[in-house]
Amino acid sequence: MIFFRKNIVKKSASFISTVAAIGVALMPMVGFANAGEVSLLTWEGYADDSFIKPFEKASGCKVLATYVGSNDDFAAKLAAGGGIYDIITPSIDTTKIMIRAGFVEPIDITKINGWEGIYPKFAETGGINEDGKVWGVPYAWGSIPFMYRTDKVSTPPTSLKDLWDPQYKGKISLWDDKSAIYVAARLNGDNNIYKLSDDQLQKAKSTLIEQKPLVRKYWATAGELVDLYANGEVWISNTWGGYQSSLLAEQNIPVKEFIPIEGAEGWMDSHMVVKGTSNTECVYKFLNMANSDLGQCGVANVNGYSAANEAVAKKCMSPEQFKTLHQDDVGYMDSLMLWENLEERQEAYMEIWNAVKAAN
Amino acid sequence: MTPRKRRRLIAIAVFSPPLLWTLLFMIVPYAIMFTYSFYTRQYPTFVPDFQFGNYATIFMKEQYFQVILRTLKIATLVGFLSLMFAYPLAFFLVFKVESQKVRTILYTAVIAPLWVSYLLRAYTWKTILGSEGVLNSFLVWVGILDQPTDLFLYNQFSMVVTLTYIFIPFTVMPIYTALEKIPRNLVEASQDLGLGPVRTFIKVIFPLSLPGVLAGMTFTFCLTAGDFIAPFLVGGPDGSMVASVIQSQFGSSLNWPLGSALSMVMLAIILTIISISDRLERAGHIDLD
Repeated sequence: MIFFRKNIVKKSASFISTVAAIGVALMPMVGFANAGEVSLLTWEGYADDSFIKPFEKASGCKVLATYVGSNDDFAAKLAAGGGIYDIITPSIDTTKIMIRAGFVEPIDITKINGWEGIYPKFAETGGINEDGKVWGVPYAWGSIPFMYRTDKVSTPPTSLKDLWDPQYKGKISLWDDKSAIYVAARLNGDNNIYKLSDDQLQKAKSTLIEQKPLVRKYWATAGELVDLYANGEVWISNTWGGYQSSLLAEQNIPVKEFIPIEGAEGWMDSHMVVKGTSNTECVYKFLNMANSDLGQCGVANVNGYSAANEAVAKKCMSPEQFKTLHQDDVGYMDSLMLWENLEERQEAYMEIWNAVKAAN
Repeated sequence: MTPRKRRRLIAIAVFSPPLLWTLLFMIVPYAIMFTYSFYTRQYPTFVPDFQFGNYATIFMKEQYFQVILRTLKIATLVGFLSLMFAYPLAFFLVFKVESQKVRTILYTAVIAPLWVSYLLRAYTWKTILGSEGVLNSFLVWVGILDQPTDLFLYNQFSMVVTLTYIFIPFTVMPIYTALEKIPRNLVEASQDLGLGPVRTFIKVIFPLSLPGVLAGMTFTFCLTAGDFIAPFLVGGPDGSMVASVIQSQFGSSLNWPLGSALSMVMLAIILTIISISDRLERAGHIDLD
């Protein structure tokens, strides 16, 4: 009975968040962030109560969060008018766009405690370093693995081919994001997924259109994917490694993640400060929290993502968690295809993805 | 102050807020959008320009054309289906329900869903049509289906069902009003002249209710053509409609010029339909005078 009730609460919570997400998408928000507040444009799970509540209490800064479903939402939201958000958390393929479009301002790393503890691979990446300045504070990293319902899919899938397998017709989902093109390209044997030629893009497009009749729905938010699995609509899809699977585990939906033989993409998210923010004090308090035990282990525990600060992770994680999250082996990251900025090709990729969605 | 001057002042006071409102929130935004539709996309955003490339794209590229056609198809389907449900309902309310009180209660019941959030009602259909939803569970329980089917949700069928359900009140209202206005003595005269109920309906009632029918269908058609919640919530991979594409041009694709051009094309289509329907309605009036 308690179980049942918990389920209802969960369901209504995800329902309310969906409604809220749509509401936000519909209405351009009016007004400006206030002092004593810090307004985030970020990913689901990055403003979890487990670390936000203690932060609010300790700092006196109220945290407001709006969620994106895709990295391409950052520029769209910021282009629609400033003054709303103070901090954004784009992934490594999008940070450069934010810098070049003038949406963000440099970070004063002398004000970030424990900066030296961040994996040099992340701290020194070109994605957040430009013009001799630092533009982001690395926060978390992970992979885009695939996931399946262990009670519905009998032979454990190992390949992307399984997402094109007619036996799962109507039970397949893909992220509504340009990453669908990366998936199709890998299936086609094109491993230069961030530098695809026009021909390769066309091939990826046909591959995705061929898959369309098998697809139940393209998922747009983490909450939506969780609902699709929980309601028995989807059995196999890609996912944000560690996050949706743990939310589903809480609902007792048996799912398992896997890295297909064709490889998986990797990502790293950094906090960036929106240009012209008036809440500098709270912004830096927040950045420091995110880079501390509270934020680093917070994201590891809530989202199941790996932490970007090695020194902090070593301090607040158990040795097992440290190992499970590949914190001791950043070489693991090299085995993933770390997202890259597509530069001028971004538009071509977006157009292909839109064409796939529009196709009959 | 002369009375004439005073009248003018009052007129200005009364009419300027709505005019200002229209100017600020309708005319100016449309003008801005129209201007944007000639801009050029340039990484990472776009630059002012004057060229017709965006419009050319819409008509040359299959994907946009296809989506517009799909939207018109779904809007037409929803329009007709709403009519199929709304007309008998309105007819029943006006001609069959004797008591004014009962009629008011029933009419209110039809309109009441409009007070409930659209999102909520669309979301409810997910729980009804889903693989493990109410309908599937029922059909399996009764034994009509061996196992749940995926056919009810995340496709164009579920979009049409949801939108029809949501827009039925918009079709009932004008038809109800049109039917209610028909003088009863006309119906009686037709019967006195020897026409049966069916021919009375075809020759008298239906022609007189035509303005209501047209208004209702136009409402439903236009509302559906601009909808993007249903595709988002209950639509599947084949369910993109124009509004979803416009939204993604203003969102993730960051191609406001193309989004504006698409909006302008849709605006033109909708205005054409409204003026045709308006003309048809008026044509009806002249016939009867």
